Amino acid sequence: MYRESILREPLELITHIVRTNRPFTELVTADYIMVSPYTARGYGIYEELKDQFKNTEDPFEYIPAKVPALKSRSGKVQKTETGFYPHAGFLSMFHYLRRYPTTETNRNRLRARMYYQHFLGIDVMELAPRVTDAAAVTAKFGIPTMQAADCVVCHKTIDPVAGLFQVYNADGHVGPRKEGWYTDMFGPGFEGESLPETEQWRALQWLGERTIKDPRFAVAMVEHVYYILLGRKTLKAPDDIDDPLFVAKRRAYQEQRKLIEEVALKFTQSEFNLKVVFKALVASDFYRVDGLATLAEHPRRQAELDDVGVVRMLTPEQLERKIAAVFGERWGRLDNRESQFKILYGGIDSKSVTERMTDPSGAMGAIQRIMANDVACKNVAVDFSKPANERRLFPLIELNVIPGTGDEADAQIRQAIVYLHAHLLGRTHAANHREVERTFQLFAGIISDAKATKGLESRGSYFCERVDDQRMEDSHYTLRAWRGVVTYLLRQHDFLYE
Amino acid sequence: MKRRDFLELCGLAGLGLAAPVGLPTSGRSATKEPEAYEGPYYVVFNASGGWDTTYLMDPKGVNNINRLYQEGDILTQGAHRLAPIAKHIQGGMSNEDFYKKYGNELLVFNGLDYSVNNHSPCSRYMATGKLDSLAYPTFAALVAACKGSAAPLAFLTFGQYSATGNLVPMARVPYLHSLNLLANADAVSGTAQHPYHDGFVVDRIEQALKEQMESRVSDARLPREERSQSMLYAAQLNSKALQRVTPYVPKNTPKERLSQQADIALASFKAGVCVSANLSIGQFDSHNNNDPDQMKLIPEFLAGIDYLLTKAEELKIREKLVVVVQSEMGRTPNYNQGNGKDHWSIGSIMFIGQGIKGNRVIGATDEKQFLVPIDPKSLALDKEKGIRVRPEHIHLVLRQFAGIDNHAFSKQFPLEVPEAERLQGLFG
Repeated sequence: MYRESILREPLELITHIVRTNRPFTELVTADYIMVSPYTARGYGIYEELKDQFKNTEDPFEYIPAKVPALKSRSGKVQKTETGFYPHAGFLSMFHYLRRYPTTETNRNRLRARMYYQHFLGIDVMELAPRVTDAAAVTAKFGIPTMQAADCVVCHKTIDPVAGLFQVYNADGHVGPRKEGWYTDMFGPGFEGESLPETEQWRALQWLGERTIKDPRFAVAMVEHVYYILLGRKTLKAPDDIDDPLFVAKRRAYQEQRKLIEEVALKFTQSEFNLKVVFKALVASDFYRVDGLATLAEHPRRQAELDDVGVVRMLTPEQLERKIAAVFGERWGRLDNRESQFKILYGGIDSKSVTERMTDPSGAMGAIQRIMANDVACKNVAVDFSKPANERRLFPLIELNVIPGTGDEADAQIRQAIVYLHAHLLGRTHAANHREVERTFQLFAGIISDAKATKGLESRGSYFCERVDDQRMEDSHYTLRAWRGVVTYLLRQHDFLYE
Repeated sequence: MKRRDFLELCGLAGLGLAAPVGLPTSGRSATKEPEAYEGPYYVVFNASGGWDTTYLMDPKGVNNINRLYQEGDILTQGAHRLAPIAKHIQGGMSNEDFYKKYGNELLVFNGLDYSVNNHSPCSRYMATGKLDSLAYPTFAALVAACKGSAAPLAFLTFGQYSATGNLVPMARVPYLHSLNLLANADAVSGTAQHPYHDGFVVDRIEQALKEQMESRVSDARLPREERSQSMLYAAQLNSKALQRVTPYVPKNTPKERLSQQADIALASFKAGVCVSANLSIGQFDSHNNNDPDQMKLIPEFLAGIDYLLTKAEELKIREKLVVVVQSEMGRTPNYNQGNGKDHWSIGSIMFIGQGIKGNRVIGATDEKQFLVPIDPKSLALDKEKGIRVRPEHIHLVLRQFAGIDNHAFSKQFPLEVPEAERLQGLFG
């Protein structure tokens, strides 16, 4: 519990900033962290904070707090002019620093790289310049990163930022090198500005202050929100002019970039209120579009429209939440820690697997089939066993309504299908819609096949139609047929994608 | 035909952005599982983090490059030279045993120029043959897309750079017994005797899904929606083939990391549901204490390769395997102050497989571990006029060897190797 409580602190900082409408720049400038009653004890500040918690036994109630300057076992106190640990939002949180460790030879360059990627949207490793002979360069120069032009081009930017993290050791704790910071690399600073000596004790705060003034910060934050909402990263500028679709791709890129920059401007003007970004992106055509007025048959037109619309496969966690919302109960096999399905279904563990899979493999297709079968199995009979007005799935139909026995029965079945389409798929179809017709034909076809099949039991299955230890009566096969219908609907794009 | 014209034709034929080959299209009327893929099967072993080639296939023993042996200690096995490590290792497989067993089949290329020396770009470059693009698929993904994207686990990956170029879904199957769970998706708890639905219900559901898929062709859908609906349908349909895996899932799970991955890959190959697998173990990045780390990891790595080949023999698919053994970088010819070795942009790559002539070493590094250029036609060392062999040279050969160099997907992701630089007869 304590561990979980600590692990949540960075995300709680984001939650706090957004919920209280604070400027999202606090992501890198907050001079506080979020602590719970449990973690406050770990930091040694529980006694002074305990009255501020509503429930001191709740490990997941968080409040903002400042940690006093750290003191080593030998009594040495961390250098600070305020008496507090120099908090700088995420930048100085040990969780973040520990996630990106360093070594004697890496010298915080990984941290600098991630800083550029996360907070300024620059992937310095994305377009690594080719060197004629990297090994020869390494051997030729005493300090290639400061002397060889091929190396200096990147290291002049990266190494100063790496130097700003110098007081943090490999584990992310305060623990500067005994020998002092390296002199064979560019000194601490940011984008050409050196860190003044007087600011050394608060180097990451100094970095945070400069970060939020950099126009790339707002753009990077908008790109993060874009990823959250659409499940994919923003487009990269096409660079292959031989590509026959180059013009179309460039147009798509330019249009999307225009949106990102417009939203970034609104974000900045709103004093960095992140909700403004969510609202602006959700209101954009890129997010709202869910179809085309005319067929996009030509590849160039398809290329232009390729990144338009949400169309994202739900993650394991999202799919569980959707199942819970629709059926009133989670399935439980997609997102628990022990579940083998979480990684198989494209999820991440934030350690060894950090990239979500966005296209379904055959393994994921199998899990979708298992989910559809099993969720239908667990819910259909239970739903029918309740009074009609308490049912989530079938409030408009009874099991004795059989297709082909009259217009009224068929109309009732169609209404039940319309209800199911709305409830499970979020689609408002008319009773004569082709999809309603297809589902009706599926239901009627199953009943018809059952009639023609000899030896079928008149009760539902032991595994799926057993309620209060009794197998439900199903002499018309309607119970099992409705289960088939729900299975069919759960396998559809409308259920599995957003 | 110019590349631009060719790609234009591909685009007009729907190969540019439409569903990958192997996925159902409007014209394909199938509700049955795909045919079994019968090989060749491609395996890429990754020594993630950067291996020390001088402790394996490119021994030096001079200029303080190695502390564990001297030049005179270097061993030979046929045409190969190998670092002596047997007395320094605690487990796994020694170079000595590995070369004794596989030297005759093994092709080694020394002196490969990674061009840069950072993990991220190097991994990308080694996996795809393209340094400066995030869009290119790995060789394993490309070959899976070209040869059998309908297979439910066409491209299996266990880590390392695994981009697909949007050509084929990647599959992660971290546990051996996950395969059993997936194999009987229509049965309660995966037990075939207890199906969820009667057979005719399943048939009706599949038929309805197929009709729905076909009916949407004329709809004005967003390109993303069209593609994702197609991929979803294919994933569910093709997943039925996973039931073929069950007989080949070993009852016991091995302890070793690579062996676990190898078992999953082999069961999938044997069942005809997989084309390629990306196997990987990490921690080779020995900036501190290079020798102990490499002496632990190289034998573990070799033992994993041995496990795969031995089990493949038992499963009678060994002759269908093409194995690539690589790392994203080498390690410096000198030790740092922490007794470690840092990143080095020159390294090696190894191959084993049917059609690959073994007992050969192509290319070289000199006594300071610098690359020696080679003549691309004769493959002989040529310091004056030779070329620096880079990942794109190797990938082009791999594509040719796999017979996919002229496939539309390969053309979408061209490798820019001048005609005069193309390696002739690398695989024999």
